[in-house]
Amino acid sequence: MPNPRYGDSSCYLEVQGLRKTFIGRKRKVEAIKDISFCVAQGEMIGFLGPNGAGKTTTIKSVLGLVRPDSGTITVDGIDCAGNPREAAKRMAAVLEGARNTYWRLTVWENMQFFAGIHGVCAAKDKEYFEYLLETLRLQDKRNTEVRNLSSGYKQKTAVACALAKKTPLVFLDEPTLGLDVESSYELRAALKRLQSEEQRTIVVSSHDMNVIQDVCNRVIIISNGRVVADDSIDDLLSLFRTRNYKIVVSKNAYMQHPESLVTEISQGFSQADINETPDTVEIAVGFTNPFEIYDLIKTLSDFRVAIESITQEQVDLEKAFLEIVRRENGVCG
Amino acid sequence: MWLIALKASWRQTFTLQIRYLFNFLSAIITMSLVFLLMFYGVRAVGAGALDLGGTLDGLFTGYIVWMIVLNGYQDLAFNVATEAQTGTLEQLYLSPVGYKWLAFFSGSLNALISLAMISVITAIMVLTTGQELHLDILSILPVYIGVYIQAYGLGFVLGGLALMFKRIQSFFQVVTFGVIGLFMIPWSKYPWAKYLPFTMGQHLLQEIMMKGMKLTKVQGGHLAVFAVVTVACFVVGWGLFALAEKKAKSMGLLGQY
Repeated sequence: MPNPRYGDSSCYLEVQGLRKTFIGRKRKVEAIKDISFCVAQGEMIGFLGPNGAGKTTTIKSVLGLVRPDSGTITVDGIDCAGNPREAAKRMAAVLEGARNTYWRLTVWENMQFFAGIHGVCAAKDKEYFEYLLETLRLQDKRNTEVRNLSSGYKQKTAVACALAKKTPLVFLDEPTLGLDVESSYELRAALKRLQSEEQRTIVVSSHDMNVIQDVCNRVIIISNGRVVADDSIDDLLSLFRTRNYKIVVSKNAYMQHPESLVTEISQGFSQADINETPDTVEIAVGFTNPFEIYDLIKTLSDFRVAIESITQEQVDLEKAFLEIVRRENGVCG
Repeated sequence: MWLIALKASWRQTFTLQIRYLFNFLSAIITMSLVFLLMFYGVRAVGAGALDLGGTLDGLFTGYIVWMIVLNGYQDLAFNVATEAQTGTLEQLYLSPVGYKWLAFFSGSLNALISLAMISVITAIMVLTTGQELHLDILSILPVYIGVYIQAYGLGFVLGGLALMFKRIQSFFQVVTFGVIGLFMIPWSKYPWAKYLPFTMGQHLLQEIMMKGMKLTKVQGGHLAVFAVVTVACFVVGWGLFALAEKKAKSMGLLGQY
């Protein structure tokens, strides 16, 4: 799916020119300098940024919990500033660092309450509530007070409460924070299932790149209050895909002039990092030109060595993210 | 949507009351004990030494109104501070109904719960002191509702402060005792005192509960003052809370504690 652009009819959430400065007693903090982005209906996007980048302020501005200084936010074509009640009907969120639920109420009672204050009647939507409990593997805990649950279940209860509101747009701010690996995987699986079955628009903010890479197709990266990248994860990774290779060759009886192999490679490929053992030679090399690898292979062929393996260094979202943020901050990687 | 939200709010308020039943029961015991201490203390030194509306009758009705005020304003103001502390305040603000209305919904049920609690305490007060009270429910109830609404107005003001400053519990204590001060101002010397919040409510309750007067027989002027003060308290409180909300959103304070 191509990224939606401002004014596209496919934009469900549209943020344009958002700015926010917090004025404290001693100093001003420019939390958001200029944030613009669009999210299409049914998209699950990752909202990334280092600490203090402005992620939470942006999310809270969209949700109406923070009043921005300027900029426009529309949800389903509704201006959030002009008609906050209508906009609120379309949004739900799990917010970072907050309990989000009442610990003295049970899982079911929390879902009932939070859905209820959004106009969703638990009695009428019982089947859907059961589906959420099943998807999030909370069936056995439905009548347990939240205070008696582990942090993983507490977090899943918060997600269930947000989803029970049946809003088309859901924000999940650090949904897997503090979860163990198993709970994190369960939650990710549940999110993917819900997104594919319900076509909800979900914005996930997380520091855990594995979570984002696993559940989202597109990421928006913000740094210093500005959007510094907005692309599909595949396109973003291809930008940072390096031509770094690791080639392992084994020495053998047919090898020509084994004593000069290392010298030849060092001279021909100055950037190569060579590690020689009695049986093998490991060559780590990065090319700027995609065809240079053929020159190296020809050299190895001339020496008649056996190539055991050629591996290309994989770039993941975390590396791409760090690279983008470093570039933005003017730090060499 | 509004009806579903009202039902959800009432169900949640009631369930939490049940879960925190010990708090409810301990409030009844504490309030009864405090009254008894005051009552026997005042009687020991002589009612004339302390002007609580003039007589021991004043102490009775003053204490009842004080309990109504306390329950009314603390319901909202303490809730804002507690919800912010527990991290549910922002979730309530996400509701399309709006936080003010949710607070009002839960407040309406809390008013009934308070009425039950105050009735029990009043019964204990009557049984332990032998004081005779006229319990004309039809006359008492409108005054109770009016005073509770006035207290809710005060609650909105303090709730607004809690939104911005969060930890203002010590200020709540000042207000709690400040309210007692309002009942002590003699109208004969300071006629303007009748226009202050809660004072007319206390006067009306004294007329009804102590003298057996029906609400319909109360001076029209007094009823008008009571009605105007009730509306004014609520409107001013609601307005100031709306301002505080605006400021808190502007400063990004809703989620902080």
